Amino acid sequence: MIRSPLTLALLSLALAACSPVDPQQAVSSALTDGVLLPAYSSWAEANGQLAQSGQAFCADGQTLSDARQAFLAAQSAWAGLQPLQIGPLAEGNRAWQVQFWPDKKNLVARQVQALLKSKPALTPADLDKASVVVQGLTAYEYLVYDPTIDLANAEQKARYCPLLVAIGQHQRALAADVLERWQAKDGMAAQLQGFPNQRYAEAAEAVAELLRTQVSALDGLKKKLGTPLGRQSKGQPQPYQAEAWRSQASLANLAAGLASAERIWRGAEQDGIQALLGSERNELKERIDAAYSDTRQRLAALQRPLGELLGDQAGRGELNALYDSLNALHRLHETELANSLGIQMGFNAHDGD
Amino acid sequence: MKRRTFLALSGATLAAGAVAAGAFAGWTLGGNGVQPLLLSARNDATGKHYAVGYRLDGSQVFATRVGERCHDVVAHPSLPLALFVGRRPSTRSYLLDTRDGRLLQTLESPAQRHFYGHAVFHKDGQWLYATENDTSDPGRGVLGVYRLQGGQLQRTGELSSHGLGPHQLLWLPDGETLVVANGGIRTEAESRVEMNLDSMDSSLVLLDRDGGLLSQERLPERMNSVRHLAVASDGTIVSAQQYMGDPADPVPLLAIKRPGQAFQHFALGEAQRQAMKQYSASVAIHSELRLLALTAPRGNRVFIWDLDSAALRLDAPLADCAGIGTVAEGFVVSTGVSRCRLFDCRSGAITAQPLQLPAGLWDNHLRLV
Repeated sequence: MIRSPLTLALLSLALAACSPVDPQQAVSSALTDGVLLPAYSSWAEANGQLAQSGQAFCADGQTLSDARQAFLAAQSAWAGLQPLQIGPLAEGNRAWQVQFWPDKKNLVARQVQALLKSKPALTPADLDKASVVVQGLTAYEYLVYDPTIDLANAEQKARYCPLLVAIGQHQRALAADVLERWQAKDGMAAQLQGFPNQRYAEAAEAVAELLRTQVSALDGLKKKLGTPLGRQSKGQPQPYQAEAWRSQASLANLAAGLASAERIWRGAEQDGIQALLGSERNELKERIDAAYSDTRQRLAALQRPLGELLGDQAGRGELNALYDSLNALHRLHETELANSLGIQMGFNAHDGD
Repeated sequence: MKRRTFLALSGATLAAGAVAAGAFAGWTLGGNGVQPLLLSARNDATGKHYAVGYRLDGSQVFATRVGERCHDVVAHPSLPLALFVGRRPSTRSYLLDTRDGRLLQTLESPAQRHFYGHAVFHKDGQWLYATENDTSDPGRGVLGVYRLQGGQLQRTGELSSHGLGPHQLLWLPDGETLVVANGGIRTEAESRVEMNLDSMDSSLVLLDRDGGLLSQERLPERMNSVRHLAVASDGTIVSAQQYMGDPADPVPLLAIKRPGQAFQHFALGEAQRQAMKQYSASVAIHSELRLLALTAPRGNRVFIWDLDSAALRLDAPLADCAGIGTVAEGFVVSTGVSRCRLFDCRSGAITAQPLQLPAGLWDNHLRLV
């Protein structure tokens, strides 16, 4: 028996919470809590550890191998964010500050050398004012992996450490800032969960943007594989135009991006984009599931780093098959999935008038 | 005298959802109790092309199927007519009755000419000027001159645009001087492929109605293509560019020619410049509020500045935003993928309110009459 007005009020709140929710809102909300926020938190955490590692390594409290591990963890967290680059990270020129790719002219090496020449005693404040080319993981990778740099040599270590430390701090601050923009009141997470708001008029707009971001990242994965394969350069392989060629993490990055794209599709608990396809669309659902599985398995089956695979016919054959698989996956999303959900991929952005 | 009238909406209209209730509470549009008519080219989900007219409360006045994607719409100054101008390299434009969407005429460009998507009616209502390509000398810009007689447009001649690849053209406040954005790019008939990226020549041209050149000015960057225009009631001209060079080049896409001054870059913040991603879709000026708005669909941003001080008033996300028009309250913005928005600029903090128009598939420009 209900006695107090307070109990009544609470009950009605509880009932409201149980009332059927707009399926689009349910998906946007579930992806925010189950996929996006955890990924942004992990990224911020990995960058905190990167900053610590850089300082420890430069104070001789950590080995180069440990420093490389911290870098790989940050780079992998970043690669996993590609299909989730919605909101703050897609704005304000922030993504360029994390990674400079493609780098066709080896600007990273040239600008790092130029910067250290002009500022031998570089401070974090100097780096904040410098070009995005030297602020991010690509420059960090150059420092800890490039064969022309030997951090075991004390003189070289002293030369490069100010930059190593400054990049770690820049990335930690950037990631913390982005996470704060997600978690703030009326921040990105709130805008993906309650409608209307200043960004989205309704849940359908949020879901559409989540899908567009994911589809554009799938296209990006094709570019990351297609560029070193020479698909934009008459079939001539371009191993040094691969993402993360110095750390030989190109394929690991692809796998991290693919896994995140699949999480947008599936959701943490089968509550991702696929939940919006009714049972009459089971056939499409199964084809998309199968396409993910095919791409994932082809990628997992590659036994050698990208640079090696590019070096012989058999390797290039495997990579081309992976590319075709990624392409099929991308097209399924861009056309059939988008059409089924009534989502426009873009219109005026490609107009050219 | 109070020009604005409060928009009365029945509860039934709002039943569509809480979004609508939030959106419509307390704002007003149009005068004399009639909401402005929004004219635009629009697709349907299957890719068919339409010339459409909607009241801003979402009621459809017409949606007329047309043979191709149109670009800008030019309304007649006094009659209920509008020309939906074919998109480059179209040779057809569509003259419609804006009361019911009836197609009155499919206007064909003459041989060796195609439309660029923009036109203007002269204030007397008898003459129309359209930017066109002379495909016998690809990219040579001309203004096709058409006379409205007996409800039909007939081409009577042409003027030189004094430049390559003309795009938008508008009147200065005198209604007799034309400003033309010569985009500087040569393209051929039936093609959208640029032929002269290494020798582009874009310019802002003022000319009189007889075609006499009054001025021609260029921006410092050769590959900065002047495409779209807005003119304030005091004669201030603003142009929006599309940059055809390297994506990393730090080139501003907004320029201004204040009365009696040279054509020059608008003072643009670096964050806004970068966010445009070298591409803009439309530009508009609100003469009463002295505001300037620009859409950047590749960057998915809507920007509003104070026209006089160049102070940034709004830098907001809106996916694939493109068309802009002005209403008393501020700007109406359309998008290819989302709901149209009203940006209410009457107070210090500009707010975005979704409109009950159909969502998405709105083409590059809109006009409010």
